[in-house]
Amino acid sequence: MPRVLHLSLILGGELVGRAGGKLGRVDDLVVRLGDSGYPPVTAVLARIASRDVFIPGDAVAEIQHGQIVLATDRLDLRPFERRPQEVLLRKDVLDRQLIDVDGARLRRANDLELARLDGWWRVVGVDVGPRGILRRVVPRRVAPRIAEGQVLDWADVEPFTGHVPTVRLRIPHPRLKRLHPAELADLVEAAGHAEGEEILDAVRDDPELEADLFEELEAGHQREFLEERSNEEIASVLARMETDDAVDLLTELDEDRRDAVVALLPDVQRRRVETLLGYAPATAGGLMSPDFICVYSQATASEALQRVRQSRGPAETLEMVFVMNTAKRVHGGITLADLVRADPDAVLAEVAPIPRTVPLDAELEEVARLMTDYDLTIIGVVDDDQRLQGVVTVDDVLELVLPRGWRRRFSLDDE
Amino acid sequence: MMRRSLVRLRGRRGRLLAVLAVLGPGLIAANAGNDAGGIATYSSVGARYGYDLLWMMVVITISLIVVQEMAARMGIVTGKGLADLVREHYGIRWSLFATGSVLVANLGICISEFVGIGAALGLAHVPVVVSVPIAAVAVWLLLVRGTYKIAERIFIAMTIPFFAYPIAAVLSHPHWGSVGKSIVAPHLETSPAYVLLFVATAGTTITPFMQLYLQSAVVERGLGPDDLNKERAEVVTGSIFANLIASFIIIATAATLFLHGHRQVNTAAEAAKALAPFAGRFAEVLFGVGLLGASLLAAAVLPVTAAYVISETFGFERGVSRSPREAPVFVGVVTALVIIGAVVAMLPGIPVFKLLVGVQAVNGVLLPITLFFVWRLSASAELMGRYRNGRIFNVVAGATVVATSALSVILLVVTVGGGL
Repeated sequence: MPRVLHLSLILGGELVGRAGGKLGRVDDLVVRLGDSGYPPVTAVLARIASRDVFIPGDAVAEIQHGQIVLATDRLDLRPFERRPQEVLLRKDVLDRQLIDVDGARLRRANDLELARLDGWWRVVGVDVGPRGILRRVVPRRVAPRIAEGQVLDWADVEPFTGHVPTVRLRIPHPRLKRLHPAELADLVEAAGHAEGEEILDAVRDDPELEADLFEELEAGHQREFLEERSNEEIASVLARMETDDAVDLLTELDEDRRDAVVALLPDVQRRRVETLLGYAPATAGGLMSPDFICVYSQATASEALQRVRQSRGPAETLEMVFVMNTAKRVHGGITLADLVRADPDAVLAEVAPIPRTVPLDAELEEVARLMTDYDLTIIGVVDDDQRLQGVVTVDDVLELVLPRGWRRRFSLDDE
Repeated sequence: MMRRSLVRLRGRRGRLLAVLAVLGPGLIAANAGNDAGGIATYSSVGARYGYDLLWMMVVITISLIVVQEMAARMGIVTGKGLADLVREHYGIRWSLFATGSVLVANLGICISEFVGIGAALGLAHVPVVVSVPIAAVAVWLLLVRGTYKIAERIFIAMTIPFFAYPIAAVLSHPHWGSVGKSIVAPHLETSPAYVLLFVATAGTTITPFMQLYLQSAVVERGLGPDDLNKERAEVVTGSIFANLIASFIIIATAATLFLHGHRQVNTAAEAAKALAPFAGRFAEVLFGVGLLGASLLAAAVLPVTAAYVISETFGFERGVSRSPREAPVFVGVVTALVIIGAVVAMLPGIPVFKLLVGVQAVNGVLLPITLFFVWRLSASAELMGRYRNGRIFNVVAGATVVATSALSVILLVVTVGGGL
């Protein structure tokens, strides 16, 4: 087990030449992020005769508490230039927030822990406990006696690097993918604006995850992060969201941008969104989901089941498979259970009875009454030409007709 | 599926409340400054100098707007509280120092607010051992069990009693011509007492906890750059409203106490009592109601501010909307301040005046530091990007910071050193 060094006790220490002569003071350590594993120290920043000096890693012989020993006595005094993926431990990491991936929460770096691993000094952990703070405020003589505090393994944290000038090329945060979208959303909400952007950036190459994350964000924060995106970017997030969540998000957007974003959506999603946006909320049109399965009446039961298998819609909308004629008018509906029980070769026109449907402008009460009277968990919504536009499922209705007090007691209502 | 319809239903109601929805952190922060100590100060200004010092409320209002705007803007742009930013940009030592001072100062002011609550209800002959514990429990429940939204609405409601002061001012039949004249053509004096009252007024109107609360509350509200102008308007309205109220307190006491030679007022409740013979019993009641609302509001805002600051500095979970299980430290700090504040306020014979002097001393040290951080951080291009202070604004802000800081240092020297 290698000896662990505390950054707080390295900073401010002496910079010593190979022969033992004191040259200056240690100001900061440079590490390279981005590679897998523990980030290595790549350089030391020091102050020598009131000048800032950059000492490349290969000129360093030993890092200890209170001093850094050089491998040479001659230094060519170069000014510091950041190389890609390099961050300064004191300036960029210490005292800042980082993500504790295991705990799925933000922590503040009170101290950083280094150790010699694989032949070089590397950052191995972050002290997030009170001891880390204590060590930095007590006199230097006492400080080393403060034992290691609450240390997180560097392998389980992701630092924020958005504020580091040259790291803009984005250090990937692979560990964030271990988190659930809801946990990521909590982090985005708890973090500052720039840090939130960084988390969103980190999941951007995974559009599904990004869309899930946006679905989980609270309304105010959705808007905060949508504002700065282009219409195209917003559309690409919306395209991957459940239609009703996408509509929620659109309503968070400025009205003058809404149409432009909707126009950029892929055809299918656009039509669905436009449909949902267009109807009053307490009518069948406003309640319905545009996810449903509708097959031609000549299809067989096994073909219909195949469609169910391939469908990606939510389970509740698959409770009934609808049947239409070649003019797209609905004239049949068969429940999933009946479909499974039916002869696989049966033609749907013969086994599917005429379903109950409601017009787009049917009131919530009417929908609720019909579903109660006929014991339905799903009901089709049709336009004036009897074309199926969507389905209202029992969960949507139940939620609206549930007495207010009930909802609060089960805390579904987040107000 | 579930969320959509809820959001929509809520949306309709939201539009009705759109006008009110603008009100929030800016109004609360500014009005929390009109607390028990503030009312006492304004009352003595009016009693001692009549309308003479009214002009300075204009200057103070502008300074307050400048300072509060910077804090609000920082909260909106960075999504972080002031204590967060101080830790990240000025290091652990400044951060610990500021946090320690905020804790001490806020605890001290918190005690004085509970004293104010006791005194206000004392006017209605409610004993302190009854009024203060009830108020403490109410404040605690609101802060710990409520969500941010509910707390904010109740905070705003607590400013309604402030309207008692304009009414009291009108009832006291001031000479409006003199009021106008003293604002337009200030009467300046260099006597120590005059300067001291000026300084005390500035110190009680612009206090560190107001910036700290404002910035953290803006963050918890989840405001983004789109809301910047709305929030600015709110900061301006809130500051003007708060200082108008303060001016009415000065006018009410000037028109009565000053006119009848009653020149000494030490506490807000004393001012209320002194008012009765000249402006009637009703004026006393109005003053008491105003004092109660003011003290309650500040008694709630102060513990929250301390909790925000400590959680930000040390990186704990935070927020009024968080449960004790989610944010134990945040809730712990709030609880501790409310309990200590209330218990100390009930002790018989606590030297309220000495306590306030001590608090003022801590605030005198803290204010220049806080303002300096606010000013420098909001001017930082690295942090604020295109939302940083404009060049001219930055000069005005710098001047405000320096002037306000100088005043608070003078106050510190005077209160600790014992007179000019």
